[in-house]
Amino acid sequence: MTEPTATPGVPGDPLHAAVTRRVNPVTAHPITSLAIFVLVVGAIMGTLIVPIYDSETPKLGAWPFFYWYQLVYMPVVAVALWIAMLLQRRLRRPADTDIAGTDGGPVPGGAR
Amino acid sequence: MSNVNTVVFTIVVVLFVLVTFIGFAAARWRRADDMLHLNEWGLGGRGFGTFIGWFLLGGDLYTAYTFIAVPALVFASGAIGFFAVSYTIMVFPIAFIFLPRLWSICRVHNYITPADFIRGRYGSRGLSLAAAFTGILSLMPYIALQLVGIQAVLTVMGVEADSTNTYVKDVPLFVAFVVLAIYTYVSGLRAPAAISFVKDTLIYVFVIVAVFYIPTRLGGWSHIFGTAQTHMAAINPATNKPNGAFIPTSKSIGSTQLDFATLALGSALALFIYPHTITGALATKRRDVVKRNMALLPAYSVLLACIALFGYMALTDKPTAAAVKKAGNTQLAVPYLLQHMFPSWFTGIAFGAIIIGALVPAAIMAIAAANLFTRNIFKEFFKPDASPKVETRTSQWASLVIKFGALAFAVWLPHTFAINLQLLGGVWILQVFVMLVAGLYTRWFHRWALVLGWAAGMIYGTIAAYNVHSATSSHWANSSDIVFGHTVYIGLTAFIINLVVAVVLTPILRAVKAPEGTDETLPHQYTADPAGAPAPEPAGVGLTRATD
Repeated sequence: MTEPTATPGVPGDPLHAAVTRRVNPVTAHPITSLAIFVLVVGAIMGTLIVPIYDSETPKLGAWPFFYWYQLVYMPVVAVALWIAMLLQRRLRRPADTDIAGTDGGPVPGGAR
Repeated sequence: MSNVNTVVFTIVVVLFVLVTFIGFAAARWRRADDMLHLNEWGLGGRGFGTFIGWFLLGGDLYTAYTFIAVPALVFASGAIGFFAVSYTIMVFPIAFIFLPRLWSICRVHNYITPADFIRGRYGSRGLSLAAAFTGILSLMPYIALQLVGIQAVLTVMGVEADSTNTYVKDVPLFVAFVVLAIYTYVSGLRAPAAISFVKDTLIYVFVIVAVFYIPTRLGGWSHIFGTAQTHMAAINPATNKPNGAFIPTSKSIGSTQLDFATLALGSALALFIYPHTITGALATKRRDVVKRNMALLPAYSVLLACIALFGYMALTDKPTAAAVKKAGNTQLAVPYLLQHMFPSWFTGIAFGAIIIGALVPAAIMAIAAANLFTRNIFKEFFKPDASPKVETRTSQWASLVIKFGALAFAVWLPHTFAINLQLLGGVWILQVFVMLVAGLYTRWFHRWALVLGWAAGMIYGTIAAYNVHSATSSHWANSSDIVFGHTVYIGLTAFIINLVVAVVLTPILRAVKAPEGTDETLPHQYTADPAGAPAPEPAGVGLTRATD
């Protein structure tokens, strides 16, 4: 439990060679970061805060609010996360997109 | 076997033979040059894209037990069962936050299990052992529960009804599980990945048909919801309390808002800490595949919500409700409902879907537990110089042992015990959350503080769950507890205790200069997105370097 492990990072390794010094993406893109935060945290809160939806009305057809709200909320979460993912791409600097610098081709023992 | 419906039985057998064939053939799917590596057997080559990843993760997250137990809970107690719906909504934004970081760091360092990461991050074998032990401990009853799900279907099919002899009674289950164990041994994660296509398709077909067709037989949704509301409000003569709650409220006795919310939150936090879900996530090709799937998997939650409503349908359909009452087992609600509502051929498809739905997660769970054993117990403590080949062989055998352990569990122990232990497993696995997820962001926590926090959470959770019992339920039968006058999910209370202990002890341990352990990760690696899978050579960076 006390035994020390490897030295952090291996300089020669291509996986490690990329950015060690980087601009914090949150301070670089404050508005995009805030939007991502609101989308993801909002998605959680919409179902975590039960008083929002634990009522019988308004009904949708025969469906009490509690039941149809959760069904309708699912695609909302899906869309919110998809937008958050697209926004996160804007935070990423080109150098980060492919740290290994490979073309995705086969590597020994790797995936095809 | 006299009352077995031949059509149902034949269709189930045909579907089973089909997935068995796929399971064995999967060994040749996306074949790598060197199959004797845990990246291949244990993670399917780490090369699945968004499409396969969606089927694999969907097949992995939504277990047969969900298809059986969630509607059973809705049938018995009403709205509280819908916590599972709320939970499968919030799990995706929660995992969206931390899962891509876990994926990246595991890809860069070629970590196979979550405990591998903990080992590398904190340089602590003890902490990694705690994570591996907790993972295996919570997966065993979870696998056993997949069997309980299969048994529920087999019981309603009549396959098990005639004999009282345990061995004869469970022969079909035994056969199904032995076959599953063999093709998992041969094909590794490729088997459940390939079979999940069949599983997800069948589940989609049967749930969509059922959700549109059954209400037409039962007088429409207004009748279904009306019956459920009346039933839940009615006073149960045995307890002198309402049967359940139709809408969770702050006042009702049966289920409260806080109970609902903490159950949902605790389960959501736990889901992507379970080793089998991490195994599914690590098997994907790129970082964005994980993110995209978090946005796409809610499509599966829609199914779960529909399945949960089967509980109310079973309540509305009088013959089904009577049959469930007669059997005294709410787990049978969905199988009875399907059997009563559908013609034999479609019942066969639905039953086949539930059985296959149990086999996929059971296989992934066994693989995940086997990888934990191999990487974090066998290699770490017994054979540090194990080659990738030895690791793979060990994992293959471990997966067999784990499956038969779970089988023994399901066959010999009472079912309620398996179900209760699975609830307890959720409490346990949540205790890995702090070390794993906090570790993805910060090295602030001291590793010994994390071990002690973990121990505090495990002990509190186990004892608290043991103490919750009443005249009508046994020890461990309930996972909610009353804390400061509120009913709260025990897992979440234990998680908070765990976190507080770790936060308080960290500065103290640092003040007395307790050894910190070496961190082999670098900040940028948590957002890295390497295209190819890691080469076999640096496998277990921390593990091998520590010994040479």
